Amino acid sequence: MTRTADYRTTLKPVWCPGCGNFGVLSALTRRALPDLGIPNHQVLIVSGIGCASRIPAYVDTYGLNSIHGRAVVIAQGAKLAKPELAVIAIGGEGDLFSIGAGHLPHAVRRNIDITCIMVNNFVYALTKGQTSPTTPHLERGEELFLSWQFYPPVDPVLDMISYSVSTRSSFVAQGIATDVSHLGWLIEEGIKHKGFSFINVLTPCVTFNPPELFNTIREKASYLREGELVELPDSSAEEPWPHDPSDISLALRLAQAPVLEKPHLGILFRGREKGDDGRVHLSRRSGS
Amino acid sequence: MRRSLTVGIVGSGGDGVVVLGSFLQKLAASQGYYSQMHMYYGPQIRGGASAVKLILDAERLSLPADETDIMLCFDWEKYSELEQELPLGVDTLVLHDNTPLKEINLPESSFLVGFSRKSREVTGSALSKNMVALGLLKRILALPEDRLKKTIEEDKDLILLKENLLAIEAGERLFCEFSFPELRLAPAQDDMPKVILHGNGAMAQAAIRAGCGAFFGYPITPASEIMQEMQEGLSRRGGIFLQAEDEIASAGLSIGASLAGVKSMTSTSGPGFDLMTEMMGLASAAEIPMVIIDVQRCGPSTGIPSKSEQSDLDHAIYGGHGDTPRVVMAPYDVEGCYRLVIESINIAQYFQTLVILLSDQWLGQTLVTFNSEFLRKDYPTKERKRPAREGLEPYHRYQLTEDLISPMAAVGDEGSVYQATGLTHNEKGTPAFDFEAHQRMHEKRWKKLMPLCQRHELVKVFGEEESRSGIVTWGSSAQIVLETVKDLGLQDEVKVCVPELIHPLPGRIASFLGSTEKLLVIEMNYSGQLHHYLRSQVDLPQKTKIYSRAGGRPFSRKELTGPITEIAR
Repeated sequence: MTRTADYRTTLKPVWCPGCGNFGVLSALTRRALPDLGIPNHQVLIVSGIGCASRIPAYVDTYGLNSIHGRAVVIAQGAKLAKPELAVIAIGGEGDLFSIGAGHLPHAVRRNIDITCIMVNNFVYALTKGQTSPTTPHLERGEELFLSWQFYPPVDPVLDMISYSVSTRSSFVAQGIATDVSHLGWLIEEGIKHKGFSFINVLTPCVTFNPPELFNTIREKASYLREGELVELPDSSAEEPWPHDPSDISLALRLAQAPVLEKPHLGILFRGREKGDDGRVHLSRRSGS
Repeated sequence: MRRSLTVGIVGSGGDGVVVLGSFLQKLAASQGYYSQMHMYYGPQIRGGASAVKLILDAERLSLPADETDIMLCFDWEKYSELEQELPLGVDTLVLHDNTPLKEINLPESSFLVGFSRKSREVTGSALSKNMVALGLLKRILALPEDRLKKTIEEDKDLILLKENLLAIEAGERLFCEFSFPELRLAPAQDDMPKVILHGNGAMAQAAIRAGCGAFFGYPITPASEIMQEMQEGLSRRGGIFLQAEDEIASAGLSIGASLAGVKSMTSTSGPGFDLMTEMMGLASAAEIPMVIIDVQRCGPSTGIPSKSEQSDLDHAIYGGHGDTPRVVMAPYDVEGCYRLVIESINIAQYFQTLVILLSDQWLGQTLVTFNSEFLRKDYPTKERKRPAREGLEPYHRYQLTEDLISPMAAVGDEGSVYQATGLTHNEKGTPAFDFEAHQRMHEKRWKKLMPLCQRHELVKVFGEEESRSGIVTWGSSAQIVLETVKDLGLQDEVKVCVPELIHPLPGRIASFLGSTEKLLVIEMNYSGQLHHYLRSQVDLPQKTKIYSRAGGRPFSRKELTGPITEIAR
């Protein structure tokens, strides 16, 4: 594949014009990878199935567009085999948090040094608009974010930030696809972090989401800056505190904010790192 | 004196049945005897029925007899759960610890020996009753002890023998208290060093030998020993081992490691094998080397986890959506377990394909004593075809070469960056949705495997070429089939074909089938899966019979005698 200076292949993405995935692709190829300066043969991107999972074909690094829900396991296998690689697992929220959700707590507890980017667009878009684990849940009579689906979602939303923080993923961040520069920085920090990094990317789906959804997210979003007071949802009775991503108890409090009421953008938590090789070190079985 | 003797030992979990069996096996091996010890156990974790059936043979590796020569029973209630596996013959010598339940008809030579009582007498506890039994069995079998001292020094488990000397000697003295029938073993015939191994252990050792550097698995009966031994073996060598969260993950981790250029492997049994199916499709479509060992057990669903069956062949050959080429192999003995794991890893690497190796509970967990020379033989290993270091042409991952095997770069290699996908793709690896690319890639993946059909040595044929009566059987069933043909003296009338490579169909199976007028297919599954497969590939003789039944109990000579004699006529 011919390479352009910014880690893009010449392949034209299949996404709809205006799709948030373009922002994710740019953050990766124009910002994170060039800034880190990792040679393209030292990077592996593994994806699952979904709109966002088409990304590997557009990035001029090693890539595997694999199976729905399984990017995280394949990525861990590759990282264990070659610790010198930068390994990124990428997929949508249906991919990583519905069909593949069972793998995440294990990736977290192993803390193998891979970066997991979840492109969360609140909908199953590739299959044309079914509800996903993060599609906003409608209470009776509610009209806000009314989706364009035949069957509006009735199940409560799975909050991936609250989930990831509570399982104590060693790096948890949230970005937004419309701020490429900030998202690129988050991905960069995620790759640099030695351990399992989880980055949730709030992403608009221009085809299957009503514009109100993403407009609201953008309106309410607030950036987290270390040392500065955090913003809390209007409904919160808590006093804001200075942001400190090294403190898990503060991260747990931040994660209580429902994503549609106060989407926090930035690094929520940065914890334990692994040894240099990123390997799980084996200990001899004892007592045999 | 007997050339061989079959000993059954039954008790409750905790009676020390397996310890007794394996000590007897180790002592016999140190004197040069061949043996096979099959284990029977129930679903209970502790306190269930536990039994072994052990044949000791002075001349060659043979299978336990249908009926045991000696039955040593610690617990008749547990015996009744395993009666079908361990039937008593009229001549069986029974040595037991307590009075049996009424419904068991004891043979004439039955002796209430009282192992527990004797153990309590000399040690103050009944715990050493298995050591008392060991002492008595040693005397009845007249096992020599020439090399015993050395063996005890080499095997740390046997130190227990020293610690239980009182109980063992008390057992030896019991020999004079009863008038047992004469059941001495003939002296062992050959002096070759022996090794005791089960199929699962052999497979793990072979994987390491073949350069497998990464193993991922999930606990499952009866395959867990492979995982445990890989953990031991790889951790000693700085390899990669990880117990995954499920079998989907163990297959996926293994694909990830393979993509990065490390030879990797996973093992499982039926239910876990089902879970790996989608990953199998990915490995086949994206041409990523992958080896899966399936130690088969009774299915469907949970079935009988601790008992053997050969019912995963359909899934191994056809499992998965779409047309998914793969290689399916099945060893029929422990040496084959070793050799075929090396072969599987080589084939997966060389052909960049999925290889499924079918073992089964019987093969996987039966402890066999035999000559160890195969462990010291030289086995060549194969590597992937890699891209030329300084290619003038741009690198195309799925380039259509003459042999249809494209050079495969490992992630991390400079100058050959590519993107792979489970989507239909073109030679570059770019997703393609046109019919031509789709058809071409199917052809590539299927046809690249065709040279394997010429691997004649992966099909074993026994007997006379000119015979017009033939048996095809596979996996562990082959052992009892070959043994029964020999016992019936029919080696000249009936030839036996045991394919170790089953799919793609080797030419040698086709020619074997073409040379028979009467055919018998023997396999341990309800529906006759090998028979269906063969029938789908080649014309079978008009006179074709099938002997297939569900697993759960090993084939006996008795049940195979009828069908085998019939085709010999």
